[in-house]
Amino acid sequence: MSSVKEYKCPNCNAPLEFNPPTQNWKCHYCASEFNLEQVNKVHRDEASDQDMQELDSYKCSSCGAELIADSTTSATFCLYCKSPAIIKTRFSGKFKPKSVIPFRITKDQAKEIYKNWITKKLFAPKKFKLKEEIDKVTGIYAPFWLFDCKVVGVISGEGTTVTSWREGNYRCTSTKYYLVTRRGAAFYKRVPVDASKKLDDYFMYLAEPYDYSDLKDFSMKYMSGFMAERYDVESDRAEFSMKARVQTYFEERLINTISGYSSFSVREKNINISNIEASYAMLPIYLLINKFNGKDHVFIINGQTGKVVGDTPISLLRQFVFALIVFVAVWIICVFGGCFICLKN
Amino acid sequence: MCIWGVLYLFKKLSFLILVFLLFFNLAVFTAYASNSINVVDDMGFLSDSDIQELQDRIDKIKDQFRLDVVIVITDKMNGKSSMAYADDYYDYNGYGIDSQYSGLLMLINMKDREVWISTTGRAIDIFTDGRISDMTDKVAPYLSKGNYSQACHKFLDDVFTYAYSGVPSGQYREERIPDFYQKNPTYWQKVSRLLRSWPVYVIPLIISIAATIIITYSSKGKVTITNKTYEESGSFVLTQNTDQFLRESVTRTRIDTESSGSGSSSHNRSSTHTSSSGRTHGGGGRSF
Repeated sequence: MSSVKEYKCPNCNAPLEFNPPTQNWKCHYCASEFNLEQVNKVHRDEASDQDMQELDSYKCSSCGAELIADSTTSATFCLYCKSPAIIKTRFSGKFKPKSVIPFRITKDQAKEIYKNWITKKLFAPKKFKLKEEIDKVTGIYAPFWLFDCKVVGVISGEGTTVTSWREGNYRCTSTKYYLVTRRGAAFYKRVPVDASKKLDDYFMYLAEPYDYSDLKDFSMKYMSGFMAERYDVESDRAEFSMKARVQTYFEERLINTISGYSSFSVREKNINISNIEASYAMLPIYLLINKFNGKDHVFIINGQTGKVVGDTPISLLRQFVFALIVFVAVWIICVFGGCFICLKN
Repeated sequence: MCIWGVLYLFKKLSFLILVFLLFFNLAVFTAYASNSINVVDDMGFLSDSDIQELQDRIDKIKDQFRLDVVIVITDKMNGKSSMAYADDYYDYNGYGIDSQYSGLLMLINMKDREVWISTTGRAIDIFTDGRISDMTDKVAPYLSKGNYSQACHKFLDDVFTYAYSGVPSGQYREERIPDFYQKNPTYWQKVSRLLRSWPVYVIPLIISIAATIIITYSSKGKVTITNKTYEESGSFVLTQNTDQFLRESVTRTRIDTESSGSGSSSHNRSSTHTSSSGRTHGGGGRSF
């Protein structure tokens, strides 16, 4: 049994790739498309629950060349023949994902989204707007931990109401103090936490939310035609960031039930998170990393919803020119237009 | 560092614009009156006998108080303000008695319907802002009615009275834009004053820095998840919801009644400015 999986077209034996618009598998040679059932008939073997031994090297099942991949790369392309290659060992055992959200956005759409986004960035250096740069946008299945949990908690604090009135020559202000307590419970479902050290946690957070109605049982077939990473952040580590997030959500939720006060400040809170269950999922993103002056600038598109987040390199010269133009423009308006407003009396 | 550099550059620029404005104001000036003609009526409002009567009174004042007195009625302003025209007319037509060119000029500007009194030398100290404003207030009603000869006589009455009483005690000089132009500045005066004020540099600077910062740090992406995104719908329950009254505190603060108004110490002030010839003038005026 080969350690690298490649899904072949039942008609012509060329590699099949997942096609986001139709959510089917497409052969780029004979242009035939197959749905999930049809592919399942031909390719029965799936990611195994048993841990498989990691090999030193993997060979492309199309051309036999050695695959070049990071230790966390789970799905990639053969550098020589461009065939999609899925490393089965990295989807087996504890690395077998439970679920996947397939891509909805095609690579061409992603490039278009990046192009529109970068052209709007006034301060981005020109070289990041060139076609060669735009072509580097890559579709990646990113590893995520999805947490389900139960939250029970209480917050209490001081609320004040302020009323004021006039009594002769005096201004009277009355401040009433209240002890406000709110206790409640809620369930949280599928809170995502980035499980890859390679990907920037903050930008992955910004790319949320994903629409979970598309969530499917994991199958390696969806990886065909995309890159994929396996997790290198264990679930108990990820749990910390999940807990912090859920705690603020729940606290905000309780605070939102408080109304009618001029001010409110939390004095005490006690929020318990229990029944935590983690499941491993692959969520789709398009990624582009711009290197500029030794710093990485991340650009991410949510591969399902198309939401754009990112950070652009900034050209100091462009910033300065912009600041100067604004200064002169506002100065002219102030001097020649301001006469009518400021000094009218 | 570069921010201050930019600011410095604009200070320089503003100076250049000021120079340009001054140049603009230096319009051609035709001198045709000699210093012995003290009543100039371009409009023909005064009869020859009126002019002679006024000239006789002025000659007496000149002898008695060593102050030159000029009355100009015109509508040919050559694009100047009343103040600039009055100052220039006095300076470029050889008026003024002693080494300080002491004297005063009343301009009746028929174009803008303004009356302006320009003072020079010792007259600056005698005719304080308060006195000038009293004088123009007295003259203006006659001018409104078209009684120009009466207006000129009223003016000379006051010149005599104040010249006789001399410099009021507590008089002081202060270099400032006359009240009239502070209240009714011309467009270019507003521009030149704005050029010298700091807000026109600070406001654009703040706006440009703010805009640059906003654009630099904006649109990394917005957080579109809320505290309800991952909450299972309908799972949130509130089991305790209590608001317990603790205490009340009342404070009373006295409301300050209106302050006693700004000090009216400007009465004894003689506002001065520098005219295009470089001489110092006092003066004031109003419209009629």
